[in-house]
Amino acid sequence: MIPRERCDYSAIVDRPPLKLPNGARLVVWTIVNLEFWSISRRMARQVLPAPTGEVLLPDVPNWSWHEYGMRVGVWRFFELFARLGIRPTLSINARVCREYRRVARAARQAGWEFMGHAWEQMPIHKVDNQAEMIGRSLDTLARFAGTRPVGWLGPGLTETYETPDLLAAAGVKYIGDWVYDDEPTEIRTTFGPLITLPYSVELNDIPMMLVQHHESGYFTQRCIDSFERLYHEGAERAKVMAIAIHPYISGQPHRIKYLEAVYEHFSRYEGVLHWNGVEILDWYLSAKAAL
Amino acid sequence: MLPSERLDFSSIDQRPKLALPGSARLAVWVIVNVEEWDPTQPLPRTVLTPPAGGAPMPDIPNWAWHEYGNRVGFWRMLEVLDHFEIRAVLAINGSAIGRYEPIARAAVDRRWEFIGHGFTQRNMQKVADERDDLRQTAAAIPEFTRQPPRGWLGPGLTETWETPDLLVEEGFDYVCDWVLDDQPVWLKTRTQPIVNLPYTQECNDVAMMLIQHHKASEYYDRAIDQFAQLHTDAAQSSRVMALVVHPYIMGAPHRLRYFRDVLARIRAHREVLFWSGEEILDWFLDQRGGA
Repeated sequence: MIPRERCDYSAIVDRPPLKLPNGARLVVWTIVNLEFWSISRRMARQVLPAPTGEVLLPDVPNWSWHEYGMRVGVWRFFELFARLGIRPTLSINARVCREYRRVARAARQAGWEFMGHAWEQMPIHKVDNQAEMIGRSLDTLARFAGTRPVGWLGPGLTETYETPDLLAAAGVKYIGDWVYDDEPTEIRTTFGPLITLPYSVELNDIPMMLVQHHESGYFTQRCIDSFERLYHEGAERAKVMAIAIHPYISGQPHRIKYLEAVYEHFSRYEGVLHWNGVEILDWYLSAKAAL
Repeated sequence: MLPSERLDFSSIDQRPKLALPGSARLAVWVIVNVEEWDPTQPLPRTVLTPPAGGAPMPDIPNWAWHEYGNRVGFWRMLEVLDHFEIRAVLAINGSAIGRYEPIARAAVDRRWEFIGHGFTQRNMQKVADERDDLRQTAAAIPEFTRQPPRGWLGPGLTETWETPDLLVEEGFDYVCDWVLDDQPVWLKTRTQPIVNLPYTQECNDVAMMLIQHHKASEYYDRAIDQFAQLHTDAAQSSRVMALVVHPYIMGAPHRLRYFRDVLARIRAHREVLFWSGEEILDWFLDQRGGA
């Protein structure tokens, strides 16, 4: 199905406003992404292209740059979120549960929500049997975490025209790939409705740091600018603001303080909820039913 | 026709003076671009590249990122334009009028000028039949606004060698693809000449945010620098300044305040007129006594 068959155009101003409990204005949804990069393939991202730009395998420097996130960077996240009392959503390639058991266990112990994020980090278009990969990923995460994931984010948010149908068939209730609104929405699949949550490619360290090459400090500024606008709008209409981070990017020593500064800023405001994907989904379903 | 056949070289300080009414030195026009992106085709712009590169199709995340502008971002920009009582010019793909009818309706209600912007957001060199595309676009607009469009902006400012000729033959009075001057100019065609109005690639959020990857605040800084210099230049002869925005770019929550601040600053200036394209055109025709 093409996107338009899944949902009609809807202007946000034409919808009745959603309300959060106790007059809260805004939900901050933090997503930590953990990935497995196979050394046998082209790396998902590169910080250092090879001399002359030719892609050669194995790509050890870029593999190890990502590996730094798992060995060092992610522990800065665990420390930060434990201190803040925030339990993010963990967008996790299922293979991470095997290859980086230590990291996955720390997330489980910290009570983070496990969200499906494919088996390993490659465009979903290149997966031979998507339904099998989705099932295997969800089964692996369910065994590891003790509960079956409710949500899903494609690797690099990628989807084919069939993906939402396959996800709904596999029991997934929400996806983050549709960054087209400030509110959750419902889209059609051949297996019934699926909810989209407002993930972000704006407040996301991949586009900001690796594609647009912004200075580290700009992460704070952009998050605060978004927050202040959405907080203002949240007086009339509940808003969800996602922040998407990766340990090999925001977990770098020179960047972590700018992430800390974002949450420091939020803490000065009343009416800000830190929820995970399942909590946002449950609220949306009940808030919508109450309209 | 080659550009040199359409107009002779002319230096701006050797032309007869143009004078705006009263004490005005500068006419500023704000162009809001509303597009429909076809998810079955490669997308015009992207914010997120897929893991390991390439261009797998379909590209749902980037389609959704653009769609955000029409669902949410446009309505933020509208509030700002309403606040400053500015009637913008809506450059809209012919197909987007029906698809995003609430946007077209909001623009008609505020008496914004509609200009043709291709029937779809596709390079004019790749459109199967250019004249037919112009006709379809010229027909879609009055069907909704009851007024035929006088102006045209190519999708991505693209033209074939023939575009200005076809525009005149299909009833358009001005084009804005030629960003070669701070004043309107005449372009020869195989029939009657057509006026080109000063559009901009400089104060344009596509070029600034998606290609040059500037911080959002650079939109403000650049626009104010541009304004100050044009205001100085206009001591001798009036100038035109364009501000170009797209709902999916400057309508993002973290960018809106910089668009708002630009308008607040320029609006407060007494020697400035906020005009539509046709107001600039009619003034220019009056000053230059027609062709």
